[in-house]
Amino acid sequence: MGSGHQGFLRDCARAISEKDSSKIHHLLWMLNELASPYGDCDQKLAFYFLQALFCKATESGQRCYKTLTSVAEKSHSFDSARKLILKFQEVSPWTTFGHVASNGAILEALEGESKLHIIDISNTLCTQWPTLLEALATRNDETPHLKLTVVVTASLVRSVMTEISQRMEKFARLMGVPFEFRVISGLNHLGELTKEGLGVQEDEAIAVNCIGALRRVEVEQRATVIQMFQSLHPRVVTVVEEEGDFSSSRNDFVKCFEECLRFCTLYFEMLEESFVPTSNERLMLERECSRSIVRVLACEDDIGGGDCERRERGSQWSERLKEAFTPFGFSEDVVDDVKALLKRYRAGWSLVLAQGDNSGIYLAWKEEPVVWASAWKP
Amino acid sequence: MTEEVISNGLTQNSSGGSNPTPMKKKRNLPGNPDPEAEVIALSPKTLMATNRFLCEICGKGFQRDQNLQLHRRGHNLPWKLKQRTSKEVRKRVYVCPEKTCVHNHPSRALGDLTGIKKHFCRKHGEKKWKCEKCSKRYAVQSDWKAHSKTCGTREYKCDCGTIFSRRDSFITHRAFCDALAEETARVKAASNINNAAAGNINYHFMGAPVGSSMAQHFSSIFKPTISANDDSGDPMRRLSLWMGQGSQGHDLISNNLPEIHQIGPVSSSAIYGDPLVSSSNPPPSNYPSNWDFGNKLSSNNVEEITSTTHPLTNVKDVGNQVLSVPSLFSTQHYSHQTPSSNMSATALLQKAAEMGATTTDPSFLGSFGLKNINNQIQDGNKYCGLYGANSIASGLGSDVESSVHDLSALNQFQMYPSKRRHIQNEDGTGGGQTRDFLGVGIQSICHPSSINGWI
Repeated sequence: MGSGHQGFLRDCARAISEKDSSKIHHLLWMLNELASPYGDCDQKLAFYFLQALFCKATESGQRCYKTLTSVAEKSHSFDSARKLILKFQEVSPWTTFGHVASNGAILEALEGESKLHIIDISNTLCTQWPTLLEALATRNDETPHLKLTVVVTASLVRSVMTEISQRMEKFARLMGVPFEFRVISGLNHLGELTKEGLGVQEDEAIAVNCIGALRRVEVEQRATVIQMFQSLHPRVVTVVEEEGDFSSSRNDFVKCFEECLRFCTLYFEMLEESFVPTSNERLMLERECSRSIVRVLACEDDIGGGDCERRERGSQWSERLKEAFTPFGFSEDVVDDVKALLKRYRAGWSLVLAQGDNSGIYLAWKEEPVVWASAWKP
Repeated sequence: MTEEVISNGLTQNSSGGSNPTPMKKKRNLPGNPDPEAEVIALSPKTLMATNRFLCEICGKGFQRDQNLQLHRRGHNLPWKLKQRTSKEVRKRVYVCPEKTCVHNHPSRALGDLTGIKKHFCRKHGEKKWKCEKCSKRYAVQSDWKAHSKTCGTREYKCDCGTIFSRRDSFITHRAFCDALAEETARVKAASNINNAAAGNINYHFMGAPVGSSMAQHFSSIFKPTISANDDSGDPMRRLSLWMGQGSQGHDLISNNLPEIHQIGPVSSSAIYGDPLVSSSNPPPSNYPSNWDFGNKLSSNNVEEITSTTHPLTNVKDVGNQVLSVPSLFSTQHYSHQTPSSNMSATALLQKAAEMGATTTDPSFLGSFGLKNINNQIQDGNKYCGLYGANSIASGLGSDVESSVHDLSALNQFQMYPSKRRHIQNEDGTGGGQTRDFLGVGIQSICHPSSINGWI
């Protein structure tokens, strides 16, 4: 942090906010000279943030975002998505942290129930569930029946859900877990979900699993969505989000920019240290992040599509969730499991418990909290 | 037979009835005590006391009866006080003092004092010992020690050839691996073909011995390979146990171990490729080639995959196909499972764990959906080619047949699931190996030659 490039980036953001044309031009030109998506971290960040700044300055954010998304969709397939997510999970606990914590809470909250219904609102391609299925199969004498309803919001994920469902069903059979799988996609807004729409039955024990999904809800609609969760009468709600605040500063471009830069710098550095230099997967993840950057910095909020990307910190989400739920602490066993998980990765990762009024646990990368995981009950 | 008398509710419906062959007398399994035995209920305090055995001469206390006896000899007792009293002849079994525990009831008492102590400690005691590497906690120090030795040394190998050092990533990979997709496709393909009553075709699929299919299937579920530390001295023995055969198994295995190492690269780039295809020499196939895996499947109707040349050719590929064919049997088995049928993959996987510890425990085979094997034999359906004289497997058929009958005898024995979390071998044996169902060390890829035999 704090390299020459970042200084230019910030100056440019300020110039845009002040509408200082000549300065904007000058800085954009400078950044263009320095930036490269194939260089080191600084150069990459410069490149992707330059893209967003340019879009902001020229008010072409929405068009750019749509183009970037459509390009990504074209090169996207089940194989590529699977390879990407599994590789990422192999080299970094960024996503597996949330999976392990959530599965632990879900298993504990639904212990003893014979009919489980997990409503998975995420874009994790169901990579969270094999270990849960295995746990259900081996933990108890009586293996419960599991119904998994996946609510997909990202278009990239939607296209591969057929294959995913096949794999999940086969795997559940392999594990000997009676299993039912359903995908819900095409929603405009999570708030549209209903008990009936989700197929919630009276005799089911419900768990709502929300991984990186709340940030994709438009800020003004987040309270509604949480109320919708409440209406499902779940035994447990697990929420995992990345620790950044692109929400409270959304009307202050420079402030939002700074926070975005801070977060993405951590993310890019983490990616660089986790993958091999020639990794194609890392490149894909960087590009995915860059789409978020354009979306947050250069697009109007209400363009729809269920991909708002305005992250909030754990403490902010907690405030919202406390309106409808109470914290369900992670047990010692779950915390131990998460710690054991982190040990299996390279050094640099640690678990931090939330302090004071806050609840949940944080995944920290070099002492910086980057992912927040929490569990809630009615 | 005493075994029948004391088999408990869990397996009662599977004992005797459908089994026409005479049962062999087997050693009682943990928790199925001899009804003649004396049931002893100790309080937790007494149970955990370290010096239960007191010398009547000097009052000194000892942890074990053997120690006490050794000590007593030192008193130079002049007459038969040295000898065991007749009371000793009567076997003792112990119940667990924890009221909510299954072993609290005399019918599920354990025969070994050390065993019940360990059980009580493990299940109901405080877990004071913690593994540094994986944070797993243990109540019994010896369990913790045993675990620490092997923690992190295991490797998990997927059918596709990729090796993992982490179990969780192995599980996740397995769920998405193409090898899984193909296996089930082949199962479906086979079942459809069989349903079409194409007699000859049966042998191509079913020639694989039951044991190897079981073994293979479990290898495809999360067994680790033999780790460097695994003193498997007897991988052969274990595998042959799985295969339900005697020396036959050994020959087959030894012929094939070299092949295993050639299967599949380790690099991740191969994960999603299909190593099977790349190394197979597809022989001509008799089967329809119009199968379209992707399209035929829907989330409601995964059962309806029809056949394809692709998996079938792989079946015939000696080197690699075995990875899939054997699972044919077991997956077929699963696809007919109803949720209420509790001897499903769950129990099977759990048995696999016990395999690791009790290598000669034949009960494993008995637990493996034996009901279905029996039914199928009796029904004379597609599987009977496996057991009958027309099995192409070189001599395997008859071996399997006899071992199957043996297996049926074991059907009634009580099986103990070993849980992943509170995992303990309830009879006190096995130490760290049965911590989870990965306890089986064998990578039973060792059966390509069995296919060799009948192709």
